[in-house]
Amino acid sequence: MRRQVPLVLCFAFGIVMALTEFSPHQWSKWINEEVIDWALVIGPFALVIAIATLVQTHWTRIRRRTEHWQYSYLVFGGMIIMLLIGIPTFLNKIPFLSKIGLSFGQKSPIFVWLFNHVQVPMDATMFSLLAFFIASAAYRAFRARTLEATLLLGAALIVMIGNVPIGDFIWNAVMPFGENLPSDARQWILDNPNLSARRGIILGISLGVISQSIRIILGIERSYLGGVEGE
Amino acid sequence: MIEKLMNIDRRYVFILVALAVIIPSLLEVNLPITISQPTRSTYDYIEDLAPGSTLMIGFNYGPSSLAELHPMAKAVIYHCFEKKIRVIGMTLLAEGATLGDEMLKDVAAEAEAVYGEDYVYLGFRPGATQVLLGMGTAIDSVFESDYAETPLAELPMMADIKNYEQIDLVLDLASGSSTEWWITYTNTRYNQQIAAGVTGVIVSQMYPYLQTKQLIGLMPGLLGAAEYESLIGRPAKGTEGMSIQSFAHLLVFGLVVLGNIAFFIQRRQAE
Repeated sequence: MRRQVPLVLCFAFGIVMALTEFSPHQWSKWINEEVIDWALVIGPFALVIAIATLVQTHWTRIRRRTEHWQYSYLVFGGMIIMLLIGIPTFLNKIPFLSKIGLSFGQKSPIFVWLFNHVQVPMDATMFSLLAFFIASAAYRAFRARTLEATLLLGAALIVMIGNVPIGDFIWNAVMPFGENLPSDARQWILDNPNLSARRGIILGISLGVISQSIRIILGIERSYLGGVEGE
Repeated sequence: MIEKLMNIDRRYVFILVALAVIIPSLLEVNLPITISQPTRSTYDYIEDLAPGSTLMIGFNYGPSSLAELHPMAKAVIYHCFEKKIRVIGMTLLAEGATLGDEMLKDVAAEAEAVYGEDYVYLGFRPGATQVLLGMGTAIDSVFESDYAETPLAELPMMADIKNYEQIDLVLDLASGSSTEWWITYTNTRYNQQIAAGVTGVIVSQMYPYLQTKQLIGLMPGLLGAAEYESLIGRPAKGTEGMSIQSFAHLLVFGLVVLGNIAFFIQRRQAE
């Protein structure tokens, strides 16, 4: 029963929602809009599950003393502080707290300060480090060993130099022909070989999504229910 | 010698990257920007909108992509305010909520735009797909109030904006898959016109949608920001950043060429 009810619900909603996409009838439209409203209500539950999973994962790491388990305390610390400041907006109605300058919610100066002065610099730093590692990796690994690697290398170099103004600047200063050739060549690569390859990938993914959706709707694919396959 | 060159300590590469960024920042180098067609299409579309039209901006990025997408957001929002185009801000990512709010406030202060009349900020709601589909029926069924918790019914600008039918263009500023969600759920279903401004790493993914006109325009990373700033005649962080990035790209270009020369010499010697 624990598996049959979700399977029946999945089948019914999958079939009904797919059919409503093809029918302009007002009932069909009403069903579609109504189910989307339900989904909007269900959406926030995903956040609750995400938080529960995060807590469970890090609590297990602390309990088992796995590698770098100490950092899990930082995760809890950060989460608890942001939740304590971001959620209890009802506390804003207490005059004493307002008097001493404490406010809560996403627009609270403390919340905004923590976001701007902790999260923003940390995220930006992590992303900036990529520049160093990419430069080092490109130097070491990007070698024209085969014909395919040479083609890839050539395309990458053209896109890299055509993507910044200095490419056109140097080219126009040195070459008497082909104004803005680096950026034009980059655009051609993006518009032609890149587009063709991407379209193939998109079609492949889409066909995969359709076949997987049919398998889920028909109850052939059941791994989303958890547990062991076929249990 | 060649062996040494090929196995150079990566810390030397790191120092070179740091210098390639620091020196041009100190010298304030400004290089001319060539405008690409996808950015020009975005600009032209907004430029051709009549005063009083509405543009919805999705701030679908977090702090890690702020350097690339914030200058783009600033340039487009300023352009809209200058043209008296109304702006609705929203986000499908929790991290984007504060970024979008601050960005709209900053540009509005600069352009003297009035909240509730020239722009509205809706903030964040969880469940991206359902949010996009829900707004097709009624925006206030998803965002019953704005980011400051004012009911939408109390905002004069929202009096005649009910769903996508009253939105002339959606501009998705994205560091992830959100542009594809907008295309799938709003362009295909509601025929909503969409443009995108995305981080450099996902630009190539967007080209099939440009060809099919599911995207009317595309701003590629920091370059897109610099191009848009050039188009509106207000060089700012995008232009500044692009000149600096130029030297970093030139360095990586040089390193790759050098590495390959060393590789070929070594291979010839081995033969």
